[in-house]
Amino acid sequence: MRTVEEIIAELKAIADDPKKAMEDYKKETGKGAVGIMPVYCPEEIVHASGYLPMGMWGAQKKAISKARTYLPPFACSVMQSVMELQLEGVYDNLEAVIFSVPCDTLKCMSQKWHGKAPVITFTHPQNRKIAKDAANVFAREEFKLVKEKLEDILDVRISNRAIKNSIAIYNENRAVCREFSDVAAEYAAVIKPSDRHAVLKARWFMEKSKHTALVKELIAAITATPAPEYKGKKVVVSGILVEPYDVLDIFAENGLAIVADDLAQETRNFRQDVPEDDDPLMALAKAWNEFDGCSLATDANKPKGQMLIDAVNKYGADAVIVCMMKFCDPEEFDYPILIQEFEAAGVRNLQIEIDQESTAFEQVKTRIQTFAEIL
Amino acid sequence: MYTLGIDIGSSSSKAVILKDGAELISSAVVQVGTGTSGPTRVMEAVFENIDLKPEDIDYTVATGYGRFSVENADKQISEISCHAKGIFYLVPTARTIIDIGGQDAKAIALNDKGNITQFYMNDKCAAGTGRFLDVMSRVLEIPLDKMGEAHFKAKEWASVSSTCTVFAESEVISQLSKGLTRESIVAGVHKSVATKACSLVRRCGDIKNDVVMCGGVAQNPGAVDAIEKELGQKITVAPNPQITGALGAALLAYEELLAK
Repeated sequence: MRTVEEIIAELKAIADDPKKAMEDYKKETGKGAVGIMPVYCPEEIVHASGYLPMGMWGAQKKAISKARTYLPPFACSVMQSVMELQLEGVYDNLEAVIFSVPCDTLKCMSQKWHGKAPVITFTHPQNRKIAKDAANVFAREEFKLVKEKLEDILDVRISNRAIKNSIAIYNENRAVCREFSDVAAEYAAVIKPSDRHAVLKARWFMEKSKHTALVKELIAAITATPAPEYKGKKVVVSGILVEPYDVLDIFAENGLAIVADDLAQETRNFRQDVPEDDDPLMALAKAWNEFDGCSLATDANKPKGQMLIDAVNKYGADAVIVCMMKFCDPEEFDYPILIQEFEAAGVRNLQIEIDQESTAFEQVKTRIQTFAEIL
Repeated sequence: MYTLGIDIGSSSSKAVILKDGAELISSAVVQVGTGTSGPTRVMEAVFENIDLKPEDIDYTVATGYGRFSVENADKQISEISCHAKGIFYLVPTARTIIDIGGQDAKAIALNDKGNITQFYMNDKCAAGTGRFLDVMSRVLEIPLDKMGEAHFKAKEWASVSSTCTVFAESEVISQLSKGLTRESIVAGVHKSVATKACSLVRRCGDIKNDVVMCGGVAQNPGAVDAIEKELGQKITVAPNPQITGALGAALLAYEELLAK
């Protein structure tokens, strides 16, 4: 049986080198990869084609230069680094790139693609909570177009049966990720915030059943011994993502464990399963309809704040840390609502700014250290 | 028992020695900060005219931007906690703190026990900080310590952007070329600092009295005046406002000793 450290090292290596993960997949299967731009792509359709869905989440500490030609300084750093990487040809080995367009920057990015791979763009219906049936039909039609375009580009046929099978594989992976997140909370003294992130990030670059198997192995290794007492504080984080690793290390240095997250890169992708339906594209459409807790998925009832408060209560957390992606308008617009709800519920909270490009973290360090001192 | 608080900021280094957490034995300020000779020099200066040596110190707390680079510190504590401690010790009626240093501006809300209930600080942007005033002082050719004097001579306040130091610098140069007086631009610069600082204060919720200001910028009466006008109320400038962080660090060092 491998140790916790060995398994995490394997997952971290994958999370840190997606290119190698793609090359390994190609060697093994003879098939390439399809890029998945953030956020909430029905990846199961790609998985059903036999090609590897590869998350495209920018790069940590990537110096931005060429991207400035095409993006204003107030585009978020994930999009800045994706633009920089595409201009450097990093994505040229992808077979296709799929874009959802729930924010203004993604809309522009999908129209300014400079990589060699063809782009497939689809729209998430934002009327999902007020016109459920119509939204389901619309989303299904969009996903059908994605499927048909993929079939043309990849020269494969994607059957309903294959999509159903992929949905089952993804749901199993979602369940195991939820279990891992809970285990990481229970074993906060063992699993550092950066370890937790690496394990969950690796799923973006792996065939999901392989990720499932590795995470199951990891859970078994972690739970083989009783959970040591954790003496630090526990927090729930919310936002698009928490990177670079330096930021997560600041959490650890100040005795803060992440016991749950509400991140677009992490839990929002596996908080709920895709429901069963004879029509797998409709199942994926319904999953979008039922999805909650993200500023990019319109819901006038704004359930995100209560979901975070519920997570604080469920995991006995001491606070919520909102990791605000710099220049992410949708998240910024929702923040005042979150603060009011946190204050009303007596939930301690802090906001830090996330900028993937950043190489200096003094402000974040001061904020987190102070917050840890007063918790 | 002797405790040392050392506050290494981005543009100055401060140190305070306390006896038994109450008696001020020595304090020193050197006007250069982290990454310079400041930390070494402030350590020499704080021991200069007293009968103590560094080995006589029972506990040292380092704070400020350069807190992790201080050798021989027993503990590092954030400057927000240290300023809150120092200010509450000096002004027990303080409930709101405005701390504007070389690189950071912070607003801190306290309860009646001196505990921090909320705090906000600027992001990675020099607007509204001491660095902003440094840049403007250079552009206007008015020494930093004369900016307060110039402020009160202004007949009107120029409009200066509060969003970006770089843009504000070109804005000021443009206003100089239009013939605006330097005094009115200084007042506009101070208003810009005030706007930025007060936006942080307002984010802490209802402004509770007393409002106390500390940090290097608190030594500039023009900036203090602009903040009072922006908030619409009087504020108290902490005694010796540049060393409140180091004082808080020395007080927290004493608490650490007692807790041992």
